[in-house]
Parts: sequence; structure tokens; C-alpha cells
Amino acid sequence: MTWQRETFKKIKQIPREEHVLPGTSLCAGCGGLESLRLAAKVLGDDVVYVNAAGCFTMLAVYPFTPFKGSWLYTTMGSAPAGAQGVRDALDVLIAKGRLPKSENLKVVVLGGDGSTYDMALSSTSGAIYRGLDFYYFCYDNEAYGNTGMQLSAATPYGARTSTSPCSLQHPFATMQEKKDIFEIWRAHKPPYIATVAPRYPLDLEEKFARAAKVTGPKLFLALSACPTGWLYDPGETPEVAKLAVETGLWPLKEAINGVVTHTYVPKLSPVETYLKLQGRFRHLFEPTLQKEAIAHIQGSVNAYWERVNLAERTG
Amino acid sequence: MRAVRFHGRGGQGAKTASRILGTAAFLEGFVAQDSPIYGAERRGAPVAAYTRIAKEPILERGLIIHPDLVVVADASLIHDPAARVLEGIDERTAVFVNSPLTGEQLRTQTSLPGRLTTLDLTEISVREFGKRGALSALLGAVAGRLVGLRQDSLGQAIARELADLSLAASVIERNQAVALNCYDAVRPVSVEAGASQPILPAQLQPPTYEPPTRGTARISAAANSVLRETGGWRTFRPVLVPDKCNGCWLCFVYCPDGVISMTKDDKPLIDYDHCKGCQICVHECPTDALVAEREKEGGVAWRAK
Ligand SMILES: Cc1ncc(C[n+]2csc(CCOP(=O)(O)OP(=O)(O)O)c2C)c(N)n1
Ligand code: SF4
Ligand SMILES: [Mg+2]
Repeated sequence: MTWQRETFKKIKQIPREEHVLPGTSLCAGCGGLESLRLAAKVLGDDVVYVNAAGCFTMLAVYPFTPFKGSWLYTTMGSAPAGAQGVRDALDVLIAKGRLPKSENLKVVVLGGDGSTYDMALSSTSGAIYRGLDFYYFCYDNEAYGNTGMQLSAATPYGARTSTSPCSLQHPFATMQEKKDIFEIWRAHKPPYIATVAPRYPLDLEEKFARAAKVTGPKLFLALSACPTGWLYDPGETPEVAKLAVETGLWPLKEAINGVVTHTYVPKLSPVETYLKLQGRFRHLFEPTLQKEAIAHIQGSVNAYWERVNLAERTG
Repeated sequence: MRAVRFHGRGGQGAKTASRILGTAAFLEGFVAQDSPIYGAERRGAPVAAYTRIAKEPILERGLIIHPDLVVVADASLIHDPAARVLEGIDERTAVFVNSPLTGEQLRTQTSLPGRLTTLDLTEISVREFGKRGALSALLGAVAGRLVGLRQDSLGQAIARELADLSLAASVIERNQAVALNCYDAVRPVSVEAGASQPILPAQLQPPTYEPPTRGTARISAAANSVLRETGGWRTFRPVLVPDKCNGCWLCFVYCPDGVISMTKDDKPLIDYDHCKGCQICVHECPTDALVAEREKEGGVAWRAK
């Protein structure tokens, strides 16, 4: 059964109003900002963002904010705990009648992959376990970006970062596999999880619209193509995001109460098309073509989609 | 000692240029020191880098407040107060600006003091490399020429520093060649050693306690980021060719900064005060109705409010 979009069928249904205003100092062409801006079109302004330190720190730099709603800054490890505090405060104030119900707010964690896959994993686990009614928006640029692109648990095999450079000992650069945070989240059985990519705006908006009907933890993993860290021209951010999806490296999917559905069937173009666009993979092509590494990446993608096809056929 | 200060935008290569200059000086037997500074900002935002070159050990550290040479990678920085390009410049300071204007034109337009010299490195880079990219090798070579370093040491320094960034050998060679052309093309101005500045003891002030309402960075405003204009980040501006536009909305959808809005008759309206010039709209427009035009006006293209 193919996944059907119910609310967002046409591009011109994307709301015109902006909720993340210009003037931030995120990089020109930031894929993370592109995803957040689209997400905010469904989230609206009645939001408290709880932001873990990372590039998104740069959203609100004193004394400026791009939001009409609120923004609270936390350490890298504690944004979900901050979200719990804000949620509890809102609930208590509403219960006591000190805040009208109409002024209720959504609580949205913003976390980079460094926070999400590493430092805040335990506090996220706790928040999901407690059934906290919140959104978690991870903008995944596959490294510790704000401090100069150091290796994170989200860095894919074969990518070069400042702490996993290409060297004689490690000609493929990063040797570790990207941690499967989607499955780690899913093991907690939250009501809603989705992956999104900014080049697929209707898929993204639809998922936020579906999540809006759910109470409890709603977790989003947004591919955040990053010109600065992935080393490509800022104008190519949508192209890079598109190829991540079309090669099958970034599956678009959701899990409702643990049941996974792939929301888009990619063409499965060869992974080279994606890798070649980015400087962080250049050492796989020059000066020597690293066939083994490329075959390894292609092999993981193939294995993933074989599992998906099998699972979907056997229902 | 010669004190050189580089100004650029994140991604333009000011930091690597200062390294190239320092390395070239070192290869010629000088003592050299270089360090960049960037605040909590990123690609497109102001960056500075400092190189000190001397025959004797350098005891000075930190920012260069009174430079002998200032190298400006982006003329739109001159009037951006956050970049502090004008700090410590007087009539004796040599100033290089990457600009299509001549030194004289630039002086009348920007009232920059100092001994001005210019070269349009962006134009050269676009012509020679076919795309906008870092100008580090070109800036390094120009700075090297102005302080009197040799071509061979600059060529070697470019090779070393660009290899550190894992650039391909062919790209490095191309950069060396183009950089050495810039070395020859720039009109030299003399760079003199400045009077050494007396070093004053630091005055420490113990901080006092403030309650969180005063002592934390609390922003009590909504959506005021629009007061910060990021239009000065651009090297290229997206421009609409109205006849070609089919009103599909894709530019509006994909703009990360939300600076494109659609008019009632579905034509994009670009907020140039904030557009950072990423060119996503130009890449994604299915009918080529958006084209990239070089920002040519130089120093007066944009002023911070
Ligand atoms: C406990 C702790 N360690 C280190 C830092 C320094 N730091 C600030 S932002 C950052 C990078 C965060 O990476 P990620 O979460 O992936 O977000 P990104 O910067 O990529 O957006 C680091 C390491 C910190 N703030 N807190
Ligand atoms: S470093 Fe990457 S993720 Fe961070 S602001 Fe720049 S483009 Fe965005
Ligand atoms: Mg990151």
C-alpha cells in the first residue's frame, strides 16, 4: 500500500506565512534552517523552542530572535529535560487557572545530531519513557558542526570530518557506521517518529500535520545538508538532499506506534551520484578511486532496501 | 615587524590566506605568527585573521589593532561595523581591497584612509575557476607581494596550506598559477612598519552579582531578527526575469531564510536586505527565471542600519 498525503497535496498549499524570520546568522544555504522553516509553517507561532547548543544557537543571538514565540537555550545534553520543565510549568499553570487554555503552547526541542545521537540520548530516552508531550526536531548535519565539523555518531562511513580525516591509516576517513537513531527511538515505542528532507516539502509538511494530532513524544529526524561541513556550493543544498533520498541513503519514513511505513519509494540511483557532489567524500574518488569503500556504502543501502521490501511484502 | 590584518566573510578564505602569508614568510627565514578570529558566526559572516612577520622573535600576541597592511576580501565589509575593518587604519596604512573599483574610486565612495590598492579577485576567481569559491591563495599572494615576499615561497606556501585542506593536486596547481598572476597584477603600495605600541597592564574589574532578570541574556522581543540585515553576505544576487517565471512557488518553498514571498499573481518578491545569496532559488528554478548577478557596487552596496 502506498502512503497517501491527506493534507498537503499541492505545493501551493504550503502556508505563505513565515514563522522563522530572516536575519539569523546560520550559513547561507543551511539545510537545517530550510527544514525548520518548513516545519514551523505547520507548528505555527504558539511554540516554546528548547534549543540544545549547536549551530541552531545562532538562531537567537542576543538581542535578536527570529521567532514570534519563545526560545529557551539549554546545554547539549539537557534539552529534553528542559522541555519537560516547560511542559510541566504550562500544565500546572493551566490546571490552576493562571493561564487560559487558549494560551497553551507546543514544546519543541531543537537538537543537532551531536546532541541527539550522543550527549542528549539519555535525557531523550527519559522523556520518551515518561510519555512527555513534546516534539523533538533533530537537524542532522552528520557532525558537530558549530565547533568545526568534528566526527559525531551520525557521521556516515567514508565521510571526512576534522577529527576523522583521510589519512594513510584511514584512507576512507570515518570507519564507523552511522548510528541508527530512528530504531533507537522506535525501541522506546513513542507514538510518532518520522524522517524528513527539505527537498521533499510536501512529505515534510504532511508529517508535521499528522504529528499534530498525536499526544506524547513526536520525533523528527531532518536531513540537514550542510554546505559548510559537507563542502559543496550553498546553492546545491536541495540537490544534495534530493540525492540523499534518491540513492536510498536517507529513507523517508514514519513509525506510528512502532509500525514503520516508507513514505517515498526512491529510484535507488548509484550512491556515487550523491557522494561525488560533496568535498567530504572527495578522497573516495581522488587521487585513487576507493572502490571498496564505495561498494561498502552501496552494499549497506542495498541491504537496507532489501529488508524493507521483504518486510513490506510479508506485511 | 609587519602586522597584517585580513578581513573576509566566512568561506572566503581570509583565515587560510593569513596562513599562506605566514608560511611563506617562514620559508624565507622570518619569524611568523598567524591566527584567525571568528565569533559565533559562520559562512558569510565577518571573519578576521592576523599575520605578524618579523626578523626577531615576536612577543606580541592577540588581535592586531594597528595594522601596517589590511587585506579586505569583500568590499561590503568596509561599512559593516561588526567587521571593524576601519579600526586602527590611518593615512600610513596600506590597504588592499578585492574590488572592481580603483583605489581612487574606492576612496571617494568609502572615505577609506590609507594607501589603497585594489584588484577584482572575485572576477578573476569566477573567470579562472568557473565558480565562486575561496580566495585564499589569491589573497595570500597579493598580501605576500605587498609585504615583499617572493613568488617561489608563496607558491610553496599555497601548496602546503591547500594540501592541508585536502584539495586535489590539480586544484592546488591551478590556484598557484592564478595566485601568482594576481601577485604580478596588483599595484604595489609601500607597507611600512608602524610605531610599536606601548603595552599597558590590563585593568581587571571583578564582576558583580546580577539577578537572572538582569544577569542573563533575555530577549523580550518577537521576531526582531529582521533588524539584522544579512544582505551584505552576498557575492551574487538572484534576479528575476519576469517573463520566464511560471509562478510555480519552488523558489519560495526552498529558500532557507524565507526571504522570498509570492505576490498575488504568483511572482517571487526577493527581500534583498536579507537574502544571503545562497543561490538555491537560482539552482531550483525549473524555467531559469532566476539568474545570479555579481554584486558589483562594492563598498556601498550595503550599509548596516
Ligand atoms: C557538553 C558540551 N560539550 C561541548 C560543547 C561545545 N559545543 C557547542 S555546539 C557543539 C556542536 C554540536 O553539534 P551538533 O549537536 O551536531 O549540532 P550542530 O553544531 O552540528 O548544529 C559543541 C561540541 C558544549 N556546548 N557542551
Ligand atoms: S555549519 Fe552547516 S548546519 Fe551549521 S549553520 Fe552552517 S550550514 Fe547550517
Ligand atoms: Mg551536527
